[in-house]
Amino acid sequence: MSYQFDFVAVFDYSSVLLAGTAHTLLLTTVGAVAGLGIGILGAVSRAWQIKPFDRIFAVYVELIRNTPFLIQLFFIYFGLPSLGFRLDEWQAAILAVIINLGAYTTEIVRAGIEATPRGQIEAAESLAMTRPQIFRHVVLPPALAKVWPAICSQMVIVMLGTSVCSQIAAEELTFAANFIQSRNFRAFETYFIVTVIYFVLAVAVRQLLTQAGLRLLGRRAR
Amino acid sequence: MQKRQFLKTLLAATVLASGLGLAHADTLSNVEKSGVVRIAIPQDFPPFGSLGGDLKLQGYDIDMANLIAHELKVKVELIPVTSTNRIPYLTTGKADLVISSLGKNAEREKVIDFSAPYVPFVKSVFGPEDARIAQPADLAGKVVGVTRGSTEDLALTKLAPASTVIKRFEDNNATISSYLTGQVQLVTLGNIVANSVNAMTKLRRLSAKFPVEDTPCYVGVAKGEAAMQAKVNEIIAKAKKDGRLSQMSLRWLQVPLPANL
Amino acid sequence: MNEIALSAIIRNLLEGAAWTLGLSLTAFVLGGIAGLILLFARIAKNPLPRRLAQAYIEVFQGTPLLMQLFIIFFGGSLIGLEVSPWIAAALGLTLFTSAYLGEIWRGCVESVPKGQWEASASLALTHVEQMRHVILPQALRIAIAPTVGFSVQVVKGTAVTSIIGFVELTKTGSMLANATFQPFLVFGLVALGYFALCYPLSAYSRVLERKIHGSRAH
Repeated sequence: MSYQFDFVAVFDYSSVLLAGTAHTLLLTTVGAVAGLGIGILGAVSRAWQIKPFDRIFAVYVELIRNTPFLIQLFFIYFGLPSLGFRLDEWQAAILAVIINLGAYTTEIVRAGIEATPRGQIEAAESLAMTRPQIFRHVVLPPALAKVWPAICSQMVIVMLGTSVCSQIAAEELTFAANFIQSRNFRAFETYFIVTVIYFVLAVAVRQLLTQAGLRLLGRRAR
Repeated sequence: MQKRQFLKTLLAATVLASGLGLAHADTLSNVEKSGVVRIAIPQDFPPFGSLGGDLKLQGYDIDMANLIAHELKVKVELIPVTSTNRIPYLTTGKADLVISSLGKNAEREKVIDFSAPYVPFVKSVFGPEDARIAQPADLAGKVVGVTRGSTEDLALTKLAPASTVIKRFEDNNATISSYLTGQVQLVTLGNIVANSVNAMTKLRRLSAKFPVEDTPCYVGVAKGEAAMQAKVNEIIAKAKKDGRLSQMSLRWLQVPLPANL
Repeated sequence: MNEIALSAIIRNLLEGAAWTLGLSLTAFVLGGIAGLILLFARIAKNPLPRRLAQAYIEVFQGTPLLMQLFIIFFGGSLIGLEVSPWIAAALGLTLFTSAYLGEIWRGCVESVPKGQWEASASLALTHVEQMRHVILPQALRIAIAPTVGFSVQVVKGTAVTSIIGFVELTKTGSMLANATFQPFLVFGLVALGYFALCYPLSAYSRVLERKIHGSRAH
């Protein structure tokens, strides 16, 4: 006998696929914005050695970067309730994405900040700018512009990584795939279609971020 | 328009791929010729298949696989699978049979064939002692955890009212943890699984509320493998008659096989 | 239902960690070779290899590794190619690793100052000679730190090979958690295992990075 492909059987579940896609995008968007915020805070603490935050961020970065995202997610979802914080699967997933992305962007943005020539900071100081002003107007924009491609890549990685949130029953795109194939047993067809959707999302997210970088940070961000 | 074009392309690819087809002859004679039957079994689903104290896989489905190999007079090669990849192993010919606490529905029957049932799986909705839940209608507005794709999932999906929030977890471990940590109010589990959880932990007791439809498990056979399917059915009938299935049931499920299976 | 001793859990997890290590090494060696080819395609003068390499990178960075492995392993069979788990894992991990390494390395080559190209061109070196004697040695120095840093992602990435039957660290953990009903203990140990594998790599990459920065300042 031979296996008969049936891709149309997957489209019977197109509402599940659509909902999953929307949730994956939402998770990525919220995680990306907040994660980048944390990353900037972490980066400035580390680069300018603001005590005690530089040490705290150093430990945080190492803990997160050297352990798998799935385990971090398990600890947030199953572990925090025993400490009295109960987060549902979406809150847990979003928090996990923010924490994870925050650690990576801390390192990426720090590299950008450290590449700022000293002379520029000194020049700004001579104009009697305060440290927060210097950071906001002199250091941050070129630093972000310099590392923007790396940030875009990291966000795409995180978007693909959100697939493990299906393990705590968050109904994102991979959940949709596994749900559909557990009903119709069309695993190959389902995974193929979902892979195509992920690819389209990845290309779209990268394009969007690159455009946003050009708009906000100018020509250097490419 | 765009979507229709996409579907057309996919259909074309489908025709092309199925034309190439898989050149397997009849599985049963292949198995007999090679002297080995490759059976996909669960690895994370006690009491059907999980690690034992000696860190070897054990459980009802593993015993069943050994029994079938014994009756076929061939060696057995066990392939540990999850609910995600068990069917692809079968449909791509990487496994000859799937014995992995498989439940049946009409959609699934379009893709693979099922044997006669080889074990009943008694399952219930569980919750805290004081939760007043006695029938499916009481699940309205409640959050119920279940293992995605399991026979419990199929049964619960059918009987729960529309306002029930069903959370489908990856494996039994996640389903059980979700209840123990209070992430869900209720869970649907095999009774035997719930008993062993109660024996292991005092975190949050699982008290049986009401049984869900008693759907048995079947051996999965690749589509169109009539000879294999008939042979497996013959083995199941024989083992049922001579009491071996009942023994396995006593060992793993702590109850004898019911007469009506 | 069954008692599994802590020592047995740890021993089993160590076995899983050995698989994780083996898969990571495979990914890194093969992915490194493919990444190098990709790098040359990416910086070639001819636009065709450049475009192809870019498409390759876009596809394999843009889709989940899990799905790639699934399609290679099971899809291969469906079109009549019998693919063993090892081949599928090696292929999938190579595609994944090379797509990232190729891009990281391109960034390093491009960060070599333009003047170096111009100077070496004025010495009448051919493109290949320029690469070999002038550009690559400098790029290599810049590349070591991010490359070692990326290896951490490879180690963690190998977890998805369980979809095609590999029982590595994460899979061993989930099997043990399902058998013992002690997810905290088991996943805590799994996290520790990954940390032990990954931390030395990240720490080393930071030391390398500092060294390069230090030597640049002189």
